Amino acid sequence: MSLALEIARIAEDKLGLAAPQLVTVAVEVGDRAGVEPSSLEFCLDAVFATPPFTGAKGMILSTRGTGLQLAYLEVDDGNPDD
Amino acid sequence: MAIRTIEVRERVMARNDELAAQVRERLAAHDVTAFNLVSSPGAGKTTLLERTLAEVGEELGIAVITGDVQTQNDAVRLSAHTERIVSAVITGGACHLDALQVLTALDVVDLGRTRILFIENVGNLVCPANWDLGERGKIVLFSVTEGEDKPLKYPAMFERAQHVVMTKTDLLPYVPFDIRLAMDNARAVNPDLRFFDVSALRGSGLEDWFSFLRQAAAPTLAGA
Repeated sequence: MSLALEIARIAEDKLGLAAPQLVTVAVEVGDRAGVEPSSLEFCLDAVFATPPFTGAKGMILSTRGTGLQLAYLEVDDGNPDD
Repeated sequence: MAIRTIEVRERVMARNDELAAQVRERLAAHDVTAFNLVSSPGAGKTTLLERTLAEVGEELGIAVITGDVQTQNDAVRLSAHTERIVSAVITGGACHLDALQVLTALDVVDLGRTRILFIENVGNLVCPANWDLGERGKIVLFSVTEGEDKPLKYPAMFERAQHVVMTKTDLLPYVPFDIRLAMDNARAVNPDLRFFDVSALRGSGLEDWFSFLRQAAAPTLAGA
C-alpha cells in the first residue's frame, strides 16, 4: 500500500489539476523488485479510487530485474474522439 | 473520449532515495552510524533497545528514533533508560518509516553527541524492506516464537539486511522452534547474514551484540 501511495503522489505531482482525468496508471515491476504485482495492482485500484482521483485503474507491466517505476499515465482529455 | 498518454519513467522510490541520501550525508558529517531495526510486531525491538540503552547507551552515545503507527509508547519506554532524546515518529497509519520522517526527526537529535543512531521501524516485515532511510544497514530481529520459515516467506527483508538478531532465546526450551533451521533458511535467502542470539530479558548473548556496536562506533570513538 505504501508503494501505491507513493505512486499516487508522483501522479498527482505530474497531473496537478488534471488528476481527476486520470484513467490508467502503468507501473513497471521487475521480477526481483520484491513486489507482488497482483497485490500492487489491488492497492493501486484502491488508492486511485479516492480523491483527487476518480477511479483510475492500475496496470502492471512485468519486466526483468529489480526495477520499480511509474512508466506512464493515461488521461481522458475530455475532447471527443477524432 | 480521447485518451492522451503522458510518459513518466520515474522510479517509484526516487524521491525517498534522494532524501535518504540527505540523511546519510548529515549522519556522515557527524560520524554517526545508523542502523534500521526491522521485524514483525512483537519480536522484541524495544526490549533489545531498552537493554542496550541501559548498558551501553552512554558509552556508545546511542540515540533512537522510534516509528509507530500510533502511540509514543516505545519512545516513553526507551526514555526511561537514557537521558538522551528519543525521537518519536507517529506514522498515522503508514506501515513503515520513510526518509523524510527520519530527516525531520534528526532535527531534535543532538548528532554532535551521537555515535550510533537506531531507527526502530514500524513492526512489519514487508513494507520497510523497500524504504531506504539513510542507514548503514538493516538489522532484522527474528524471535523464537515465530516460524522458522519467516525468511522464506519474507525474503526481501532478509535479502536487504546485513544482520539478524535472534531474540527471546530464553524461550527455546519451551517452544517448538529449531533455531538452526531458522538460521539456515535466512542464509538460503542471504548467505552473508551475520547472526546474534540474544535474550534481552535474561541478558544472554548481549556481549556479542555490544561488541558489534562498539566496532560500529569505533571510527567515531577513535576520533573522539
